[in-house]
Amino acid sequence: MIQYAAIVIFVLGLYGILVNRNVIKMIVSLNVMEIGLNLFIISIGFIYDGIAPIITSTEAAGALIYVDPLPQALVLTAIVIGVGTTALALAVAKSIHRVHGTFDLNEVGDLQ
Amino acid sequence: MKLKNLLALLVTLLLALAIILTLNNNTLFPAFGDVDLADRVSGQYLDSAQIDEIGAANIVTAIVVGFRGFDTLGEVTVLFISSLGVALLFGASRKQKRLDADFSPNFMLRVGSRVLFGVILTVGLYIILHGHLTPGGGFPGGTMIASAILLLYLADDQFRAKIKGFKILESASGSLYVVIGLLGLVLATYFLQNFLPAGTVGNLLSAGIFPILYILIGLKVGSEISGIIDNFLTEEDAK
Amino acid sequence: MSAVLLIAVPLLAAFLSILSKKIAPYLLLAAALFNIVILFFLPEGFVIIGGFVQPLGINLLFDPFAKIALFLVNGLVLVIAFLNLKAFAGFASILLVALAGLNGLVLTNDLFNLFVFLEIAGIAGYLISVSNKKPVHTFHYVVLGAIGSSLYLFGLIILYAMFGTLNMVGMIEMIETGGNYADLILPFVLMFIGLGVEAKLLPFNSWVKGVLGKSNTMSGPMIASVYAAAIAFVLGRLINNLFQFEGPLLTVVLVILATGIVLGETMAFASTKAREILLYSAVAQASLIALLFVNGVVIWAVFLIVANALSKTVMFLVINKAAGDTGSDDVNDLQGLFAKNVLVGIAFTLAALSVMGMPLLVGFVIKLNFLTALAAANQIAFVAIILIASLVEGIYFIRLLVKLWYRGDKDLDVKYGLSFKIVFVVIATALLVFGTYSAPLNQLDNGVDTIAEVINNG
Repeated sequence: MIQYAAIVIFVLGLYGILVNRNVIKMIVSLNVMEIGLNLFIISIGFIYDGIAPIITSTEAAGALIYVDPLPQALVLTAIVIGVGTTALALAVAKSIHRVHGTFDLNEVGDLQ
Repeated sequence: MKLKNLLALLVTLLLALAIILTLNNNTLFPAFGDVDLADRVSGQYLDSAQIDEIGAANIVTAIVVGFRGFDTLGEVTVLFISSLGVALLFGASRKQKRLDADFSPNFMLRVGSRVLFGVILTVGLYIILHGHLTPGGGFPGGTMIASAILLLYLADDQFRAKIKGFKILESASGSLYVVIGLLGLVLATYFLQNFLPAGTVGNLLSAGIFPILYILIGLKVGSEISGIIDNFLTEEDAK
Repeated sequence: MSAVLLIAVPLLAAFLSILSKKIAPYLLLAAALFNIVILFFLPEGFVIIGGFVQPLGINLLFDPFAKIALFLVNGLVLVIAFLNLKAFAGFASILLVALAGLNGLVLTNDLFNLFVFLEIAGIAGYLISVSNKKPVHTFHYVVLGAIGSSLYLFGLIILYAMFGTLNMVGMIEMIETGGNYADLILPFVLMFIGLGVEAKLLPFNSWVKGVLGKSNTMSGPMIASVYAAAIAFVLGRLINNLFQFEGPLLTVVLVILATGIVLGETMAFASTKAREILLYSAVAQASLIALLFVNGVVIWAVFLIVANALSKTVMFLVINKAAGDTGSDDVNDLQGLFAKNVLVGIAFTLAALSVMGMPLLVGFVIKLNFLTALAAANQIAFVAIILIASLVEGIYFIRLLVKLWYRGDKDLDVKYGLSFKIVFVVIATALLVFGTYSAPLNQLDNGVDTIAEVINNG
């Protein structure tokens, strides 16, 4: 089910970061890892037969089952932080290209 | 397969197995969907007396901007410093011009973008304004506004938005957010406390300072991401 | 007057500072100075944000532990900003955000808020390392930092699913009443690894050699002293109250930390570049501080953090200025540095002797006390490891000092401005004074970290 899938996506992203040597591919793997993490966080909040936590009717709130709103708020923050980090990483990647002429960390060679 | 790749595969497989096995055997970790909200803090968030006191129909908004408004301030700061960093890395010292790309926009893109720009902008503004009533809020709305600007960039080879205006907007909305928080400290007793009346749940003008904060967040996010887009799509003017 | 001003004022200054590049450095100095001044007047205790009592909202905890950390962080940022006013004026907004982020890290009592501030301080740190002009090392730092924060968030979410609250004090109370330690091993390990990346603990610190090895007078002291101190304080608070390692996990963590100390000192011994020697020494000290927290020696770990931060600031400033001016930090190229800069040399020597733990300096008092505390807790193996590591440390520092004092064939032309000299003299004097008159140190005890007291009193 979804929690297994989220963990697998997270680990796939981690594998991608460890194995890739192209800077852009590493950034994409980082994003995949963060997607897996965000899916896992959302899946923590799910309740069977629950509806979205928005008050749409004047029925007593106790009669309706809502899903957990807190993980959704946490994921909002985590997504935005991920966007910020990705933008910065891409700018650093462009800077690497400007200084070394390549995106491949193997070709950048020994830095001392 | 190279040895290093094999090692990485082993480590990640072990990590996945460790996480899955430990969570399955964990007595306190609830099964998927089998959660009792009374055990968690969220049970208190969904209490009807609490909802009437806060005044927002969208509970997630109440959490993001109300209960955990401090985290949102931090998140806004993260975007701020990322956009600052991108500007720093691209070194806007000399005059900038648009990046020389190999493609030029075709007819469909040029005409279609003019139609879509208005639609996307309106939808974005609608989502920002109704953040406390429907899903959405400042963050998705701000990103939509930025994507409308991106469309303008893609549609026209020489277009550059007014970056100076964006910077002023970004700085002003960020500072206003902190000032509203400080006003809460002065007028009420706590930082970021809601000092405007809560109104009735479901009206556009309800939930105290939430709509104002979301508008500020939406403007800030929109201007920051537009700034980042502009930084990526320009280069130094050789002349 | 509320502790949240320590975070809100630098943030407001940061948002305003991008409007005018010229006044931005002065805003930075003003905000840091304001923070230090109000630290004297703030009342201690919990600070509620937004008016929602815990566990509904977020709150901050301002206790003596946080107070010491805040004085150190704000003071050092003020000093570093003042010294680099002209050279790195463009980084003033970033330093303001870093200041706000580090203050928030130390003050917060909510675990998700800790994650957000960790990211704020982290991204500010990546940008500070951009000033080294080595994009590949910065990229390495960015990727490792992002992995670390994601692992921390993963562990935190598992804890939330188990206990239903994000508040630190609330979580500790629930773990004490209902927790089975075997269930807690996975989230604690993930959170420890997440913080360990930023805290330079082995084996997650491969970014340190690149970022600090090529640092300058701003990024070196900021990342090696200020960031290291703030993260050490946070990690210490979490280890002491939340993690409370026991059983096989305790053994594993102790082994990793002890290996970190030994490896750090060994690599410092084997290096011939001055900046590398300093950064490997910093890595070893970080593992040592974590080891002390795990063993419950709280107050001497706190003093060690403060003493290390001050000493490392002096040492990094001296070496980085010389490396920047001469273009190389190889020890042979820096030979005779102090022959013309005697005052600077004396300050550097005192700082190095303090890190080594020589008598008459505060490092000796701290070392003596924490070794006694460790021995009293029957951790003789660690006492032995630390003593051997200190021996190695002594050898390579003396070797470095000899090289730097005795004039070589070429004459070095490195000048230190008056403001640099004043800072060096003040810090070195403090190290000397507290080394000889150490009674004030004995007045504080492990009770500076008040969370345990708060929980016991209900």
